[in-house]
Amino acid sequence: MTQLLLSARDIYATRLVEGGRVDVLAGVSLDVAHGEVVELSGPSGAGKTTLFLALARLLPGVTGSLSLDGEPAEAIAPQVWRSRVALLPQRATLVAGTVRENILLPYTLKARADCTPPGDAAQRAALDAVGLDAVALDRDASRLSVGQAARVALLRVVLTSPQQLLLDEPDASLDDVSAEQVAAMTARFAADGGAVLRVSHVRANDKADACYRLAAGHLERVSL
Amino acid sequence: MSAGGVIPISWLQLALAAGFMLVTGALSVALSLGLVKDLTVATIRTYLQLTALGLVLRWVFSASLWWIVLGLLGLMTLTATRLVLKRAPDAPSGLSLGVFLSLFVTGVVVTFTVTGVIVRVPVWYEPRYVVPIAGMVLGNSMTGIALTLERLFSDLDLRTDGILAMSALGATPWEAARPSVRTALRAGLIPTINSMAAVGIVFIPGMMTGQILAGADPVDATKYQIVVMLMVSAATAIGSIMAVMLSYRHRFTDEGVFLERGLRDTDVSGA
Repeated sequence: MTQLLLSARDIYATRLVEGGRVDVLAGVSLDVAHGEVVELSGPSGAGKTTLFLALARLLPGVTGSLSLDGEPAEAIAPQVWRSRVALLPQRATLVAGTVRENILLPYTLKARADCTPPGDAAQRAALDAVGLDAVALDRDASRLSVGQAARVALLRVVLTSPQQLLLDEPDASLDDVSAEQVAAMTARFAADGGAVLRVSHVRANDKADACYRLAAGHLERVSL
Repeated sequence: MSAGGVIPISWLQLALAAGFMLVTGALSVALSLGLVKDLTVATIRTYLQLTALGLVLRWVFSASLWWIVLGLLGLMTLTATRLVLKRAPDAPSGLSLGVFLSLFVTGVVVTFTVTGVIVRVPVWYEPRYVVPIAGMVLGNSMTGIALTLERLFSDLDLRTDGILAMSALGATPWEAARPSVRTALRAGLIPTINSMAAVGIVFIPGMMTGQILAGADPVDATKYQIVVMLMVSAATAIGSIMAVMLSYRHRFTDEGVFLERGLRDTDVSGA
């Protein structure tokens, strides 16, 4: 029996859609265990991003309960929670500066004041692993292609070693080869004891351990 | 012309000045600018407000009581607060106290530093010095604060995706807002810095003009003007920095979530 990592119970979230309130999540419960890669699917606009924001505690007005490694969310400061349950938003946003500066950005934050940032060799190896071997650490981040920027944004999150990754369409702007590399990287992350919850619109992910479908505010387990 | 004072302007001569506005109005009609009504109202307001100010100041100067001076400063600060808030319609609610405090602290500290430490007015509340200097301090500080706040909240909105990415990495509201704070403060302070660089070459500032017209020696007037320029810059900087620091947090929830446009109308306090 694998050990439970992230647990969500009865999550309700409303969002304003064209002036009216819509129950985007109407009692969603979800468990992800250490080492698991869980795939989340559902029609466009079903609330997958809303669920990710709720799990990362980045959405106000959410009710329900969350826990991480058995510890209730209330006992964990929001910034610490977010550094352990790391969301990669759909739109990759890099800051002005080099690729290195972007990868080291999380280590400039108070939440990681005690962590040691990865050295150049570790950064280089991580870039190579997702097909960015042609991208120098000194490259100006604004000169990266959309697909390259998306992978740098992913590495920026993965290299901080969170416990739970929430990946909102990490492969949306990638070709098949790069998407394979990203899938392999997330699988390695899970094999090392982390957990991954991911949305992939574009291609079915055969590496998932479980699959859920979100529709009309409810989450259903789908057989693989 | 006597060396020690201005040539007084009679009421009839003052009315003549409206002739400038008649010319402007005629141009507006000829070019169909649709500004006649605004021009008329603005001209009448200029006459009435400044005449009233003159009468009030004459009374305040002759009464020369400390509590009248302080009351007047309080009233000026309140009015400036209201004007700042009116000029930032996109700003979150709950900013009034922070804006008031920024203006008040700047107004009091800078004004009394100038009158007490630099000019060394014998009576600390001497209205002839305190009131006009406070007016310049508050007026400039108000403009700077309004510009900075407007820029802060528009830049935060522009950076919605970036702020989400930062927050998701565990950034505190301050860490996520910092680039916008920097952009806003630069925007707020650059006009002041530019005017410091251009003063004396491109224009003769209003206060120096006034002192020269009143018969002061140009070099003496210059010294005052330098003090005024530096004091105005300091007031703008201190006021803007304080206002931004006391305001940015209002765009985040207690849990540190940035309230992007789509989240603002929900009841989110303390979520």
